[in-house]
Amino acid sequence: MVDVSAFHCDYENKWCPGCGNFPILEALKQGLADQGLVPEDVLMISGIGQAGKTPHFLRCNFFHGLHGRALPLATGAYVANCELPILVSMGDGDCYGEGGNHFLAAIRRNPDMTLLIHDNRVYGLTKGQASPTSERGFVTKIQPKGVRSDPFNPAALALSQGAGFVARAYCGHKEQLAGLIGQAMDYRGLSVIDIMQVCVSFNTVNTYDWYKKRVYDINEQGHDTDDWNAAMDLAMAGGDRMATGLFYKKNRASFADRVPGLADSPLAARRYDPAQVQALLDQA
Amino acid sequence: MGIDVTVKVGGEAGQGIQTVGDLLAHVCHGCGLYVLGVNDFESRIRGGHSFLQLRISDRPVTAPDHRVHLLVALSPRTLDMHLSELAEDGLAIFDSQEADAGSNVVSIAVTDMARKAGGAIMANTVAAGACLALLGAPDSLLERVLKKQFQAKKAGVLENNLNAAQTGAQAVAEIDFAPAFAWPEKKPAGKLLSGAQILALGALASDCRFAAFYPMSPATGIMAGLTGFEGRAPLVVEQAEDEIAAANMVIGASFAGVRSMTATSGGGFALMTEGLGLAGITETPMVIVNSQRPGPATGLPTRTAQADLRFVLHAAQDEFPRFVLAPTSLDDGFETMGRAFALADKYQVPAVVLTDQYFNDSVNIAQKPLNAPESIDCHIVTDADMDDPKAYRRYEITDSGISPRALPCAGQALVMVSGNEHQQDGHISETIPDRIGQVDKRFRKLAAMEGEMRPPRTDYPDSRVLLVGWGSAAGAIGESVEMLRAEGMDAGGVYFTDIWPFPQQAAEEILGRCERFYMVEQNVSAQLGGLIREKTGLKCYQAVLKYDGRPFFPFEIARRVKAAEEAIDG
Ligand SMILES: Cc1ncc(C[n+]2csc(CCOP(=O)(O)OP(=O)(O)O)c2C)c(N)n1
Ligand code: SF4
Repeated sequence: MVDVSAFHCDYENKWCPGCGNFPILEALKQGLADQGLVPEDVLMISGIGQAGKTPHFLRCNFFHGLHGRALPLATGAYVANCELPILVSMGDGDCYGEGGNHFLAAIRRNPDMTLLIHDNRVYGLTKGQASPTSERGFVTKIQPKGVRSDPFNPAALALSQGAGFVARAYCGHKEQLAGLIGQAMDYRGLSVIDIMQVCVSFNTVNTYDWYKKRVYDINEQGHDTDDWNAAMDLAMAGGDRMATGLFYKKNRASFADRVPGLADSPLAARRYDPAQVQALLDQA
Repeated sequence: MGIDVTVKVGGEAGQGIQTVGDLLAHVCHGCGLYVLGVNDFESRIRGGHSFLQLRISDRPVTAPDHRVHLLVALSPRTLDMHLSELAEDGLAIFDSQEADAGSNVVSIAVTDMARKAGGAIMANTVAAGACLALLGAPDSLLERVLKKQFQAKKAGVLENNLNAAQTGAQAVAEIDFAPAFAWPEKKPAGKLLSGAQILALGALASDCRFAAFYPMSPATGIMAGLTGFEGRAPLVVEQAEDEIAAANMVIGASFAGVRSMTATSGGGFALMTEGLGLAGITETPMVIVNSQRPGPATGLPTRTAQADLRFVLHAAQDEFPRFVLAPTSLDDGFETMGRAFALADKYQVPAVVLTDQYFNDSVNIAQKPLNAPESIDCHIVTDADMDDPKAYRRYEITDSGISPRALPCAGQALVMVSGNEHQQDGHISETIPDRIGQVDKRFRKLAAMEGEMRPPRTDYPDSRVLLVGWGSAAGAIGESVEMLRAEGMDAGGVYFTDIWPFPQQAAEEILGRCERFYMVEQNVSAQLGGLIREKTGLKCYQAVLKYDGRPFFPFEIARRVKAAEEAIDG
């Protein structure tokens, strides 16, 4: 068994004390260790935001890219080398706002990677503006009269678009999250985990207390993860009870399965063959 | 006098104009003639007006000619628009059942004859048959090409087409056409290819394994060219959800160890600039082809321009080293793709290849053999190259500015990359030494990058007057230089492929010697002229500019330079 401490990184952490990102990071390390992975084997690709900084605080290979663009970046890395264990770390603004189109396309393409969205219902790094998941009426400095739009529903959207692995987690329940990350990494295809994260600095509504009263684990209660309708009901249910756990799981052909030859050996592993290329040039 | 005949076939989009052009081009090429075919079309699928202009010669031709010897008008609009372009001994064939419309116009019921041969869609084959007969070609030539093209099709298709070609030929059998010539029947020279095809082949020969794109004219042809190799070479071509995704996918794939590219036009390039900057700061090799069209915004979607030079030189926030290369011919296009990939890898910077609609969509003869390199050097280090892989730092400060590039998950070395400014190990940093250290490191590459730049190609570089251009305009400039020299002017040509880092010394040497130089560009402000002035202090005497979306004709360049020179002498 790999020790969790192998993933410890000396680089100074820059999150606020008490931020919900800390327990997510711990769960992540646990999940990776449980997978028997070592830092040298892990690739994390992230966007911009507090969530996007995650790989800096973890020992691993990483590419910390642009706001909203982690998914295409990760998809490119995956096409080049589909054997890499790829995790993608994004914020809610990052993934659902700036990167919304890429989120939809990633579900359709189904690359084999684990997408973790740190969903704090606010923009943390830019100091507290509304995010796509902020509740209507959520008050911020920029939205003093409250958010005018309705919130984005990540799980429902992912389900409706045919995602094959859809889960919701809560940062306060580390073990459950670590388990979900493990299952997500085992899944062949895009796995989506929307992680309800507390932002202690800019979201005074969705606090630890607020979540504690509402969250419950559906898998403990015996939810059938093959049942798409039941999963959709859980995703749509609002109000006082907030389901966490694996909502839905279904096998789908991954991107590599759809490209002839890609699943056999990664592109990056092929040798350059001048004779083969010359033959193609001669036919032109 | 050698052969130099221009055939123009025009009609509505959807009438198969391009097919006539392809047939004629293949027949001519098949017996050792040289051709240059330009496609001119509107941004629509059916109707409107489009044409194909094919110049046929017994020596290499590098630009379209303005004189039309044979005009085939499949619609009345074509006749109206282009009759005035007919050369003195030229002839127009008009698809009509009515009597002749003028002394040099012959009416032939092309569509009607096609219908009788099996279907109106064969109008293009009838037209091709008529053209070739007028030009004096033996029947067997077209037959050969048709057989090759239609052999695999359903029974009857080939017969119908042969029949259609025959009727076309018979219809003009009685006509005496002055520019007709004796067909040489030599071995074909080089390969008949479009610019888009040669760029795709250049990418293939560079071991490009991943291409991501979002469709945009006139770049799509390059991707179509590459898609054909999926499954036959280790290559994946993916249509991205937008250009932003395409650029980021390319960066991700390159980071993970395969050569990757994207192709777009100005508007898509605008969306890619964010990714371009990411490649810049993360020092990830990437190749972007910007196939220019007139803009801004959507501009003229199917027309040509050379107006994105300044844009690609400076695109993305802040500053970072990059390469900008603009191929001047098909041969140059193949080589330029190879250099773009190799230079991007060697220096870990983005390389932009600037082409345009004229370059991409016209067909010409690639004369040099297309050779696959023996090996591909990606300049990648592994644990074995390091004393202590655990101490590996992706952005190590080095004298050359180039840090050793390792691949993620390939060994003990952890590869950490950030689009935020970073310390040497890749972690975010805002300290002054890290910021300055990394900026300086990135810019230290410039001296060696400049050393990679080739001087511009030249014709008669010691002439009194030089005509200077870049990219696809080179062909027309070259021919205009020959015209001016034939009229006794001491003129030469200078054609830049390597634009950035600017080959300053070479430019100074060449342009410093002449009495005057003219910029010849397809933009409104002589963008390269401005760059030359900025970098060398040398100012062009005048600029010959064209920005109507259509390619240069050699004669219009020559005429404008001649007028300017006469004004000085007079
Ligand atoms: C192209 C671009 N637009 C805007 C920004 C500014 N920006 C940085 S982080 C961020 C939003 C962060 O919110 P979220 O994604 O929810 O992540 P969090 O910080 O809450 O983890 C924005 C708008 C940027 N860096 N790049
Ligand atoms: S601002 Fe919010 S999300 Fe960002 S570190 Fe602080 S608590 Fe965490």
